[in-house]
Amino acid sequence: MNADILIIGGGIQGCATAFHLARQGASVIVLEKDYVARHASGVNAGGVRLLGRDMAEVPLSKASMEMWQTLDETLGEDTGFRRKTLINIAADETDIETLKAREIRMRAAGYAHERIIDRDELRAALPHVHPSCVGGVTSELDGHAIPYKATSAFRRAAERHGAQVVEGAELTSLRQVGSTWIARTPTGTFEAARVVNCAGAWADRVAMMIGDHVPLSHAAPMLMITARLPHFAGPVVGAVSRQLSFKQFENGTVLIGGGAKGFADRDHNTTRLDYAKLAVASKTAIDFFPIMKTASINRMWAGLEAYMPDNLPVIGPAVNASDAYHAFGFSAHGFQMGPIVGQVMADLVLTGATPYDLNAFRIDRYDRKTL
Amino acid sequence: MMIFDCAIIGAGPAGMSAAVLLAGTGLRVVVLDRGAGAGGQIFRAAANSPLTDAGVLGPDYTDGAGLIAEFERSGVTHMAGADVWHVGEDGTILFSHDGETRQLQAREILMCPGAMERPMPIPGWTLPGVMTAGAAQVMLKSDAVVAENAVFAGSGPLLYLIVAQYLRLGVPVAAVVDTTPHENYLSALPYGPSALRAWPMLRKGLGLLREIKTARVPMFKSATNLRVLGQGRASGLAFDSKGAQQIAAQHVFLHHGVVPQTNMTRAMGLDHIWNEAQQSWQVKTDDWGQSSTPHVSVAGDGAGIIGADAARSAGRLAAMNIAMRLGEVSVADRDRWARPDRAALGHLASFRGFVDRLYAPVPALSVPQEPDTLVCRCEEQSVQALRDGFDAGARDPNALKSLTRCGMGPCQGRQCGPIVSGLLAQWRREPIGDVGYFRLRSPQRLLSLEEFSRFQTITPEAGE
Repeated sequence: MNADILIIGGGIQGCATAFHLARQGASVIVLEKDYVARHASGVNAGGVRLLGRDMAEVPLSKASMEMWQTLDETLGEDTGFRRKTLINIAADETDIETLKAREIRMRAAGYAHERIIDRDELRAALPHVHPSCVGGVTSELDGHAIPYKATSAFRRAAERHGAQVVEGAELTSLRQVGSTWIARTPTGTFEAARVVNCAGAWADRVAMMIGDHVPLSHAAPMLMITARLPHFAGPVVGAVSRQLSFKQFENGTVLIGGGAKGFADRDHNTTRLDYAKLAVASKTAIDFFPIMKTASINRMWAGLEAYMPDNLPVIGPAVNASDAYHAFGFSAHGFQMGPIVGQVMADLVLTGATPYDLNAFRIDRYDRKTL
Repeated sequence: MMIFDCAIIGAGPAGMSAAVLLAGTGLRVVVLDRGAGAGGQIFRAAANSPLTDAGVLGPDYTDGAGLIAEFERSGVTHMAGADVWHVGEDGTILFSHDGETRQLQAREILMCPGAMERPMPIPGWTLPGVMTAGAAQVMLKSDAVVAENAVFAGSGPLLYLIVAQYLRLGVPVAAVVDTTPHENYLSALPYGPSALRAWPMLRKGLGLLREIKTARVPMFKSATNLRVLGQGRASGLAFDSKGAQQIAAQHVFLHHGVVPQTNMTRAMGLDHIWNEAQQSWQVKTDDWGQSSTPHVSVAGDGAGIIGADAARSAGRLAAMNIAMRLGEVSVADRDRWARPDRAALGHLASFRGFVDRLYAPVPALSVPQEPDTLVCRCEEQSVQALRDGFDAGARDPNALKSLTRCGMGPCQGRQCGPIVSGLLAQWRREPIGDVGYFRLRSPQRLLSLEEFSRFQTITPEAGE
């Protein structure tokens, strides 16, 4: 099978890239080794978060946040997106100092989407928060979506524009012969002029086939969800300096994250949970919200996610091959960036340029370091 | 942390028999069981029945008291009320006990999770007033509670047993609606002669049917097209059996055979296979009960339906193999000891083949056909909702779960899991074994966040 562009990986980055390319008329094939949204894109916490981003990511994240507000209409599908205030709680005065220092840097860069709140405003927004908490920081554009639905929505919108998604197609080889990329999989051979690597936790292997080396690691961030509880938390909740993250959905269930990692075995598509760490996350949730004592855990799980040493993604062209591009390594905060990354990749592939500064996301940023 | 040579999960016939055998070896054995007393589902409360005359439940049930007594004399550590919610491949077992999360480690694990009733998703099956026949039996055994003038519908030995137990107690039964298709009697016929080798079992079954007949309970045969009637709660059962029939009843008890309880073996990541003859998923084991993870064995109905008598033998065989693996007996001794139980299993297997054919589940009762019949009770997902998800590209059980929330509720897909695989097999036109099943995780049941949060104080990692 032939196409203009081959995308490796059917996660949100791959599907969003396919959507933006296909709607501009390019012929696209997405190769997914399992099924679309099988890994991090389908099982993450669904946070659509601009608050607390690394400075280098803020321009992309802001643009993406605007796209999320109307994404259901853009894609003609339900992504489950709900706009919701996000609050990172300051447990003590040290946290407030951290927030103030960040505010100075944010203002200097011209960003005004984060706002520090005091104890009273925190209590008003989250009446059940522990009384010892002193304040926090909030962003009102934020929200959450349903990961599997959002990724599938991109996939189906791309398909409506003519993109082809091939599931169960794990690369056995990928090489460039002349000006043609040839991808071999158990379900067939695919050829294209350009290739985009959106392979998530497996992206270093695809990068290697393309010719680029990247210090990618993978891990299994863990999540748990409770049975339904009476509504007690409107905003999405995080904490400035503790591993706390949760959100209560409309159906009353509470998703608890926080970044604790289990054990990842990407060769077998499996993850194992670290219950001692999840127990600590449970304690943190109860410490901040004593009402959570009454909760029951219904499910616990972990997904396979790719991490870069600096927790910033790789976004941009390959350095050791022509007509190849990368978008991976989002280090557990790529879901929100999906919509804009798809557009950036489409621009790069079709025009060779993007209005965004991608320097912080170069694949060779570690190669260039000298002692 | 407590460290044992062998942990046995489940104190039903298989688990108790295995424990009794291992008790003689000097190995450190712990039995974890959710029940307040040993016995499992089949011998529930057999040692301390609330009924004035537990004899009405039948001689098999009272026999259970003997095994329970032997088990309790054996000297193994029995932790009653231990609700196991995680079994790790590293041999760590996490469980709730007396309001605390506790953990122990074992070199060998024997899981005896037992059976559960096959879901019977006919229209209206989720209405209040509809229960499984097994649930009716649990109420009878544990609390001596019965429902008068109920309809019993479905097929299989357990259904007739419960009806007979009701009748012996003098509880009126409105009707028995038997869904066993006429052709099953023909397809089972070739297995009849070998089933005769297990004549006592066969006689028991025939005896139950005679009891029901003698009591003049209205009996409808080869019933099809079953629907529970009622708005808001059950008011009766409609079906076809020599014409359209309708029976008014406040309680409808459904039963359609039993299937292995696989949530725990699935959550461990053990290999599973589709048993075509029994139309159910089961964990893959060798003939010693050893799973795809060598230090984990599974015995009893949880590894494929064999019945209580066979479960005792299977539990003992698994225990002999574990004793061999732990260096207590030689391979030759294990094989010699195993002979009587192997012979017993052989006898029972021929009977099982007959029962499997006779009471083979009817596809129309296992996989719902009406668009608005609920599949997932917890998340209230109908056949139509799942079909929409399938049409939107979710062709794998887990993709469908992610899209529709079917199977995400507190029952962890126990009820809807087999139905979802069945529906996908039908829609994909592929064998159910190729469709697969939900990916499951611990905890196996709802776990108190507060209890779990205290668990960190007793783990080595807590200082991190």
